[in-house]
Amino acid sequence: MATQASRTAGRLMLSPAVILLLLWMIVPLGMTIYFSFLRFNLLMPGTEAFTGFENYSYFFTDPAFWPALVNTLVLVTGVLAITVGGGIALAVLLDQPMWGQGLVRVLVIAPFFVMPSVSALVWKNMLMNPVNGLFAALARGLGLPPIDFFADIPLASIIVIVAWQWLPFATLILFTAMQSLDREQMEAAEMDGAGPLWRFVHLTLPHLTRAMTVVVLIQTIFLLSVFAEILVTTNGGPGTASTTLTFLVYMQSMLQFDVGLGSAGGIVAVLLANIVAIFLMRMIGKNLEA
Amino acid sequence: MAREISTGRKAVITTVAWAVALLIFFPILWTVLTSFKTEGEAVNSHPAFLFFDWTLENYHAVNERSDYLAHFWNSVVISLGSTLAGLIIAVPAAWAMAFVPGKHTKDLLMWMLSTKMLPAVGVLVPLYLLARDTGLLDTRTGLVIVLTMVNLPIIVWMLYTYFKEIPAEILEAARMDGATLSSEILYVLTPMAVPGIASTLLLNVILAWNESFWTLNLSAANAAPLTAFIASYSSPEGLFYAKLSAASTMAIAPILILGWFSQKQLVRGLTFGAVK
Repeated sequence: MATQASRTAGRLMLSPAVILLLLWMIVPLGMTIYFSFLRFNLLMPGTEAFTGFENYSYFFTDPAFWPALVNTLVLVTGVLAITVGGGIALAVLLDQPMWGQGLVRVLVIAPFFVMPSVSALVWKNMLMNPVNGLFAALARGLGLPPIDFFADIPLASIIVIVAWQWLPFATLILFTAMQSLDREQMEAAEMDGAGPLWRFVHLTLPHLTRAMTVVVLIQTIFLLSVFAEILVTTNGGPGTASTTLTFLVYMQSMLQFDVGLGSAGGIVAVLLANIVAIFLMRMIGKNLEA
Repeated sequence: MAREISTGRKAVITTVAWAVALLIFFPILWTVLTSFKTEGEAVNSHPAFLFFDWTLENYHAVNERSDYLAHFWNSVVISLGSTLAGLIIAVPAAWAMAFVPGKHTKDLLMWMLSTKMLPAVGVLVPLYLLARDTGLLDTRTGLVIVLTMVNLPIIVWMLYTYFKEIPAEILEAARMDGATLSSEILYVLTPMAVPGIASTLLLNVILAWNESFWTLNLSAANAAPLTAFIASYSSPEGLFYAKLSAASTMAIAPILILGWFSQKQLVRGLTFGAVK
């Protein structure tokens, strides 16, 4: 049993973390909310004034807003589809008996540890460059015209890069979940004459549902903030073809110095992320009870 | 009961798995190989895979640029500094929640997690202005502070899940045997907590090393870690493929090696215990 003294000590041990996180959350977020109601441009100091919801209406009517919102959703769903689909396939594959399984796993997981600016640069220059890239060399070898990835299909190219970085994460989580699959049930189903496809659909997939949900939610949180990959490859272009919400806010606040407008966009991004966060928190909270 | 698996089937699976794994690993392999080529060889329209004149000249060239080492050092200081600072704040907190849980411990944990869900771009402007006004913009101290706070919820959560696994009965037993509080902490708890703390440290160094939103937005010439330095290669130096590859290889090698040791912790740390 915890005594009164140990409870006081516990509170003392907790307080630095709690106070710091509280400040970390309230101060910047409060400032963002405040700025979002101001006319506030760093290039025009001294002209700050309260404008109500003007920044929000500018943000929503910005011609880049709808493309950015659509691009964000396409990027997130595209990467999720590739990583969850590929992750399940890889988890099933890695679960089979084979030689050198440890090494195979090490190779598959590696991309997750590559820093985003490096993977973006490597894909952009060495693989996807239309003149000197490896893909261009392969296309020439096959007698096909090389693709100018970042000019013709910028968003799809970024999706491929980001999916490559997150596939290991999905694979690792799903593979971990596979380990707790009931093998005896599997064997019993096999003895009863159930084919591999039936077993996959009726036993493996339901078992992985929870892990899939976790992968989707956690990746969504991170994918909403994808930044370096866009900055390094396309800078949001051509036009707005690969501008996401995060990148739009970055451009407005750091390149156009429009603090008010950028803050309004930031708040929109926070609200969007919260929708996902609520579902994720519920799942984690449930697990905490158990 | 192990199923009998025919050697033929196993051979097929092994072949497929290795092919897929090498395909996924290929961009990294290609980068490492290119780093040993000459610049001319690197942009050869008929790229050679293994049979070229291996050279170390790119590594010499990158290392001779004193700035590479400076940025490498920035990465080391920022990732280690923010992780250690995070541990100093988080160890007591996680300890208290695991061993002296109160009515609100669960709510507190969930709230800490919720701060992690805040998208970085939502607080970009105020943090940029705060850093600018306090003189912390483009300093290692500034980045250490920001990354400490960014990763603090993950550190607390990971430590909590590890500490939770230390059976409380052991403490009781030590107390029964007449152990004082300090010897209890030193001889009973610390040895049991060290593996968990080490795993947390490992994963967070990796996360901080690769963090690319704040390091790109809050640093310029002085404090830029490798994430920002490599991003600056995007043009026009990015056209020197072999040197870019050498710089990239050196930037990712330490973390790749650490990462391979931390696969299990990765699952635990990034799913907040939701998948075990």
